[in-house]
Amino acid sequence: MKLRIWILAFTAFSFGPIWAQVDSLPVEEEEDYSMYDNVSYADAGTKAYCTNKIEGLSPSKLISVGYDYQMGYSLTSANTPGGQLTENYDQADFARSNGMRLALNVPVISRNDVIVQVGANYWNQSYALETEGANNPVATGLSNYGLRTTGLNLTVFKPFDETRFFLFQGSGDLNGDYSFSDIMPLGYTKYSAAALYGKRVSDRKMWGYGLARTYRVGELNYIPILLYNSTNVANTWGTEVLFPARAHVRRTFSPRSMLFLGYELEGNSYRMYRTMMPQNDLEIRRGELRFRFVYERSLKDFIWLSAQFGYRYNYSFNADQLPDGQEFFRGFFGDQPLAMEQSLTNPLYFNISVNLVSP
Amino acid sequence: MKNILIAFCLVLSGTVFTSFTQQNTDGDRLLGVWEPSNGRARVKVEKIGSKYFGKIVWLKEPIDPETNQPKVDKNNPDPALQSTPLKGYRMLKDFTYSGNNEWTGGTIYDPLNGSTYSCTITMRDANTLDIRGYIGVSAFGRTDVWKRLQIQRN
Repeated sequence: MKLRIWILAFTAFSFGPIWAQVDSLPVEEEEDYSMYDNVSYADAGTKAYCTNKIEGLSPSKLISVGYDYQMGYSLTSANTPGGQLTENYDQADFARSNGMRLALNVPVISRNDVIVQVGANYWNQSYALETEGANNPVATGLSNYGLRTTGLNLTVFKPFDETRFFLFQGSGDLNGDYSFSDIMPLGYTKYSAAALYGKRVSDRKMWGYGLARTYRVGELNYIPILLYNSTNVANTWGTEVLFPARAHVRRTFSPRSMLFLGYELEGNSYRMYRTMMPQNDLEIRRGELRFRFVYERSLKDFIWLSAQFGYRYNYSFNADQLPDGQEFFRGFFGDQPLAMEQSLTNPLYFNISVNLVSP
Repeated sequence: MKNILIAFCLVLSGTVFTSFTQQNTDGDRLLGVWEPSNGRARVKVEKIGSKYFGKIVWLKEPIDPETNQPKVDKNNPDPALQSTPLKGYRMLKDFTYSGNNEWTGGTIYDPLNGSTYSCTITMRDANTLDIRGYIGVSAFGRTDVWKRLQIQRN
């Protein structure tokens, strides 16, 4: 009997605290929250840093699976004074241009004093000729092989204090009419970068300025850039601007539903690797402005739909000859002759994507 | 025989108790007041039963500029909770200490967009927490660094 009492007593003593714990939440007691007004960091050496976001900003996308569709348009290719082309090719009419767009972004370092994100993207654009057999090797090549971009990118956000920050974005893209069974040399990779100094002046506004090495206008260029993100106090309106790459006004219906009106400057330089041309080493300099409405909303939790509709305005579809793939800088004022001067008429387009958004 | 059995019970209960209190003490290092990196809130971590919870005890902007009233959880997807005051709201829920300076099995709620994420808390040092909110798998997430605060007594 005595033994049983001993065992019971020790067991109760040992496990008592565990049994005594109850997982249900107790009734909240009134607490004097004013005691939390006056605090300091427990570690005196702690420094506060600004974040890379402001209130109301659209969520960043970790995974994106999209589809882009441009309605019919025409391509004209003309000779240029001093250029390599001696004849004008036929006008080519495309019934449509469409393709998949995939992107993946993963934050690899996420600390208060630095954020590093790496990403990958793959775009495929097919071109459907309305009538085959036109004397236009560029159009035939586009129709036969299409264009694609495969790239890697890196983003670094480095805050200096509670207001000032530095942002760097770099990317390497392999652009051309290659396929994965007939991939072109990595030496043709195009490198872009942007560096920006900015200030997060409040929880609802951040701005910055910097310089970009970019192919968004089709060919290599160095241009100043401006960042301006803002949200009004009621979180119903805002701007998301990285000029000149993109600029949008945002109407927020709820944190899970937003409408944007603005534009994106989209482009790159594509190597005609498989297309047989009278001139070799051709690069198509594609640059286009997309004036658009974008509607983004949460479908379920972190799965968001993004639907764009707009007008694609051709800025450049010219061609340059790059012997051995050696890039050159023409800028806005250079006088190097084009291999071909090409223009596109401007169709309507839409783009739809499903995205996994970041916390 | 009796004495052996009593001794065995004593050793067993002592071991269990020591291990339990050790686990308890280690886990309780999470208790206190913490500040997320954006500095917009202060969160007090408490222990309820065997689990850890964090409630908002201070807001940089406690008044909603639209209504001129104390902020409520207006972005909560559940309409029944949209009038709950943000101050006092438990944004960290159901964490248990799993050893190695990690508290797991809990969730974190973001009042700015009304989303709840899976979450792991790692104590980097006594005054620094890595709060990783993620979706499904940890790779698809974001880590925020929280700093411990101490209350200034007047």
